[in-house]
Amino acid sequence: MGNQEIWVYVEINNLMVEPTSFQLITKAKQIANGRKVVALIAEPKMSHLESDIKEYGPDEIRILRDERFRGANDEELADALFQVVKRNTPNAIIFPATVRGRSVAPRLQAKLQTGLTADCLDIYYDGDNLVQVKPTYGDGVMCNIICPDKRPQMVTVRPNIFEAKVDRTIKPKIQAAEFEFHEDARSEVEAEEPVDHTSTDLTNAKVIIALGRGAYSEKNVELARQLAEKLGGKVGVSRPLTDKPEFTHSDQIGQSGTTVSPDLLINLGISGAVQYTVGVEKAKKVISVNTNRDAPIFDLSDYGYVGDAGAFLEAMLGNLE
Amino acid sequence: MDELQQKKQMLIQTYKRFTRRELSPIDMQIDQDGMYPVGLFNKVVATGLLSTTLPREYGGAGFDFNATSDALRIMATGNASMAVTLEGHFKTIEQFIKYGNKQLNDKHLPSASQRIFAFSMTEPSGGSNPLGISTIAKKVGDDWVISGDKIMITNGGLAQVYCILCKTDDDQMAVFVVDKDMPGFSFGKKEDFIGLRGTPVGEVVLNKVRVPGYHLLGKVGQGLEIGDNAHADARVLMGAVLAGITEHALNVAVDYSKERKAMDTLLFQMQVTQEKIADIAIKRQNIVNLYRSAANNKVANKPYRELAAMAKSYGSRAAVISGDEALQILGGYGYSREYPVEHLIRDARAMELAEGTIEKMNIEITNAEIAK
Amino acid sequence: MKIIVCVKQVPENDSVKIDPKTNDMVRTGAQGVMNPFDRNAIETALELKEKNGGQVILLIMGPDSFTEVLRDGLAMGADSAYLLSSKEFGGADTLATAYTLVAGIKKIGKPDVILFGRQSEDADTGQVGPIVAEDLNIPQATFATKVETISATTLEVDRDLESSIQKVEIKLPAEITVRSEINFPRYETPINIVKSFDKPLTIWNEKDLNVDPDKIGKKGSQTIVTKVYAPKKETKQVKFLSKKAGDAAKTIINELDL
Repeated sequence: MGNQEIWVYVEINNLMVEPTSFQLITKAKQIANGRKVVALIAEPKMSHLESDIKEYGPDEIRILRDERFRGANDEELADALFQVVKRNTPNAIIFPATVRGRSVAPRLQAKLQTGLTADCLDIYYDGDNLVQVKPTYGDGVMCNIICPDKRPQMVTVRPNIFEAKVDRTIKPKIQAAEFEFHEDARSEVEAEEPVDHTSTDLTNAKVIIALGRGAYSEKNVELARQLAEKLGGKVGVSRPLTDKPEFTHSDQIGQSGTTVSPDLLINLGISGAVQYTVGVEKAKKVISVNTNRDAPIFDLSDYGYVGDAGAFLEAMLGNLE
Repeated sequence: MDELQQKKQMLIQTYKRFTRRELSPIDMQIDQDGMYPVGLFNKVVATGLLSTTLPREYGGAGFDFNATSDALRIMATGNASMAVTLEGHFKTIEQFIKYGNKQLNDKHLPSASQRIFAFSMTEPSGGSNPLGISTIAKKVGDDWVISGDKIMITNGGLAQVYCILCKTDDDQMAVFVVDKDMPGFSFGKKEDFIGLRGTPVGEVVLNKVRVPGYHLLGKVGQGLEIGDNAHADARVLMGAVLAGITEHALNVAVDYSKERKAMDTLLFQMQVTQEKIADIAIKRQNIVNLYRSAANNKVANKPYRELAAMAKSYGSRAAVISGDEALQILGGYGYSREYPVEHLIRDARAMELAEGTIEKMNIEITNAEIAK
Repeated sequence: MKIIVCVKQVPENDSVKIDPKTNDMVRTGAQGVMNPFDRNAIETALELKEKNGGQVILLIMGPDSFTEVLRDGLAMGADSAYLLSSKEFGGADTLATAYTLVAGIKKIGKPDVILFGRQSEDADTGQVGPIVAEDLNIPQATFATKVETISATTLEVDRDLESSIQKVEIKLPAEITVRSEINFPRYETPINIVKSFDKPLTIWNEKDLNVDPDKIGKKGSQTIVTKVYAPKKETKQVKFLSKKAGDAAKTIINELDL
């Protein structure tokens, strides 16, 4: 049934460690309860990201090293990881629920014929079972999922749910993992270009102005963008506004969109349905504007303004000189 | 769900999706501009909405009035003008199906999925009194030559095929089909109405337009009957549009009263608001029941003219009152052009006049009751 | 080009709630609709067919009532549809679902392209596509924002990896998962709605598929849902600001030092 190790898959993005991986190392250490936390990374020869990983204090860093990981496709990655897991089956493998994590993890799962829960908001151990908490069906319903009979237990976990904490008290053992790189020419990465993307911008934004149906108008969108620019932030939306011409799915905050963790969140015309609020739980200071004083969003807010979003935006812009 | 029900549900979903995506966002703009934006009508055509009722043998979907009226109601909750444009088209298609000869239908109906068809009766000399018709159709050999002036045609200017109620030279009433590209056909004045401002309404001038004999819809002498039938079909669908407008007013009023407070109480918790909301909701449901009864009777080949008159008579008044009540709930905002309520009243008001005034409806209903 | 699009039915948005007292799931008139993301996958398939010829086949697993969703897809323009329906398939997790879909795909016959929507709106997993690809041993391109035909055997796919766009050349047969940004799904026209009922819709059960009974449904699932509940919300003490927008703005700017 596998050993007592928790593996965290460390994702590389533009030759850097994708920050969720650090968050997951910290979380794995918190729930480990004596289990060994292993950071697993597949990196090209000259990249030495283990020095960054070390800072977060996993018990061990296991490296799959091959030049061909630069531009490797999902099939090649899943194949390499499978070889390593087969040699030494861990208790659990945690992936970031990023695009890559969500693409590679299920292929690995299929090879292992084990369970995988996608997009978890929380994980904890109950005995030997990793309890996997995720939202389901519509309005604010959560479920707990376990994988009782197979190891490893696999999950992908949402970015920004947990905080990454530096821990230099542990000097991780650095190990090379044994595997053979099997090239798969059926799909070739021809090019990869970094883009300014709203969803990543939102994920990392320090200030977010969030617009909901109750505040939508062309004028308010423009005002919100002006305020965001002034405060060095970004504009996000709740689900209903993804249908509007100005926005797409990648601007969406919440359960089926992006999870955010800004220092300041300003909600405009958002009532506070759970699909939205699960995406903003990590926001530090929250200001909400709604015409309905009883809107549930105020229960999650530090400041409330009952009134018109447009007037509020204009007042903010006017006073922020 | 049986197949018929399922098809109907799918039709309604398409109308709903189209309305949400293409119409609701520009409802206010359509009212303010007094026309459809460029390209919108092409989307209606591309989505195949014109062929909703067109029989399958002519390349249409062949939906009956039960499904079509509900679909138009959904559309009217987002934008009543486009729903009325479709109503004008559908009612005309119905007359081809019922009265058209094979040659006429084979020639015209296949194009009805791309081209709007219109039905025109009214003339400058007077309302919908058909006896005062002065448009004349003269028989010349096998052809007919038509001259006259028709006004207040729903989709006038937008439509490409027109059914024209005429008086023949031997003083009988008849309906002829005229294509806008025929020599002697021209468009006249466009109306600048206060409501349904997206729906084009205009004039057609016929100067010795020569049509072949098979362009006669039905028979000579059947003109008034066809006119009455077109009225009845239009009224069923207008009932549905009116239910949609009332529902739109209800939605705005409900949303507003859930958010707005007066003296620390949400509006919907106050009795004065509740009375109005309940009244609008009841009116909406009454209109729905009336137009559905009419539509179902039509589908079942039972008499439906009286029910159709009721749907439009009751529906038009009830929709205007509902709009007015919603306006009152919204207070100053309701009176503002920034909110849609005021244009809903103007839209509904059109249907106290169109396809026979409310007074004419009530005469017909009374006559039907007396004859029982 | 033979294209199979795997679709799913989900409850219409917002129609499922949890009773806060009993923790029971309450479906408020939960009408099933096609998972909105799957409409993007069908649109992608139809565009590929328009360019390359071939056929678009829909595949779904679920109860008999799911034929309604298949009709929607047929009304968009797909050519035929298959429903894998059996009590034995019930309670399947992603692994068992993928196994069953793969059995269906094998019986339909080898496709050139298998398409999925990026995720389902209810369970939000988005992992069935890659599992199917792995089970069939074919390459994948997930989170696609653009799919272009290079040749009869090669597609070029743009993948949106959030902080970068990756261009992938992929040999067919392949599995592609599309993002909703990729296109605007066409409407079901009234005529196509009616015609959809003339198109072939086949229903298969576990016997038709010749599947291993231990790998389908609940039995074939490695994961178990142990609890469904409404989460407790942490609430904050809100401070209501002046109704005058100007004063409210000043307070915030001062107190938060903006």
